Amino acid sequence: MAAPMAGWALRAMPRICPAPSRALHATPACLKARAARVRVGKGDKAVTYERAHAPHHIAHRKGWLSLHTGNLAGEAGAAERAVEDAFLRRFLAGTFPGVLADAAVLKRRANLLVVCAVLARGLPPAKLCFLTGYAETLLTHFYKCPVRLELQTVPAAVPYKYL
Amino acid sequence: MRPLFSFRSARWGGEKMAARWLCRRLCQGSAFPVSYASRITQKQCFLPHSDLMGARLAGSHVDTQEPKTNPLISISDEPETLYKRLSLLVKGHDKAVLDSYEYFAVLAAKELGISVEKVHKPPKKIERLTLLKSVHIYKKHRVQYEMRTHYLCLELKYLTSSTAAVYLEYVQRNLPEGVAMEVKKTKIEKIPEHIREPVWDTLPQVEETEVKL
Repeated sequence: MAAPMAGWALRAMPRICPAPSRALHATPACLKARAARVRVGKGDKAVTYERAHAPHHIAHRKGWLSLHTGNLAGEAGAAERAVEDAFLRRFLAGTFPGVLADAAVLKRRANLLVVCAVLARGLPPAKLCFLTGYAETLLTHFYKCPVRLELQTVPAAVPYKYL
Repeated sequence: MRPLFSFRSARWGGEKMAARWLCRRLCQGSAFPVSYASRITQKQCFLPHSDLMGARLAGSHVDTQEPKTNPLISISDEPETLYKRLSLLVKGHDKAVLDSYEYFAVLAAKELGISVEKVHKPPKKIERLTLLKSVHIYKKHRVQYEMRTHYLCLELKYLTSSTAAVYLEYVQRNLPEGVAMEVKKTKIEKIPEHIREPVWDTLPQVEETEVKL
């Protein structure tokens, strides 16, 4: 960076004028929000529509990734649903390593749990079929409720922006 | 997966048509997504009933002596409970989803012949939380979250218990994810025997004693 070099060079001379600083920080680092945001970088990072938008865009430009009644006024079970969601996302990340194109959408209709995921075409269809059956059976037995996996394949993860 | 409600149709009066086509829809598989085109064609099939009966049985080997009884429909002689009002309170986070559900529920009620008394939207409730932004110290920096619950109130009037059961089952099987429903039923009952007549009419007449001065 030019500023520290100029400062170092000027420090060798007796102080006549203070070193000019070109780095402007309008906000201290601890005041910025960092939740669910992808920080702007060099421009080489491909980011999907879901990840490109900050959480204050939910219900305006984004939808919800997990749909259940736990967070409604007068309804119970929000914490249990949150724990289940966390486990399901980790399980999916492990069952389809490197193939998940975007975050999975979890929908709860009465007893039924529907997991909607978008995958890239990295695995042959036979293996995908086996993995869906394996995931559905295992999760059904684990959560004691019917679990349905609805998959969609795309050629590659769709980038919305490069940050 | 166990069914949510048991399906029962006690009286065969005006609800015959509605119950029959609805039970056929439910028998044929999952009720959602509902395709109105197929439902309308099924309804139209019933209109020229006598013509179709002859045409259907002419070439098939159906035994005309034994009437086909649907195992899902049960007929009983006990009188039905009558509901003055059926109040559905639907809650959700997304207003657009509730608007679409309102259109669907009102259409279903009209198709079944249920009179809709009132459809109104109570004001939304916002639950706000103010939490510390950092894991450790930095008490001055907080973060605020809010959870909005939108409401939709649907009031239907004058239903029988079987109509209410059919309508509620249909409407609840098609409830979108992330939407909750509360149902309140107002029953009509006969006045109990012991208060039917006023008490002062039932007591024996007390003879007035004349006070002699």
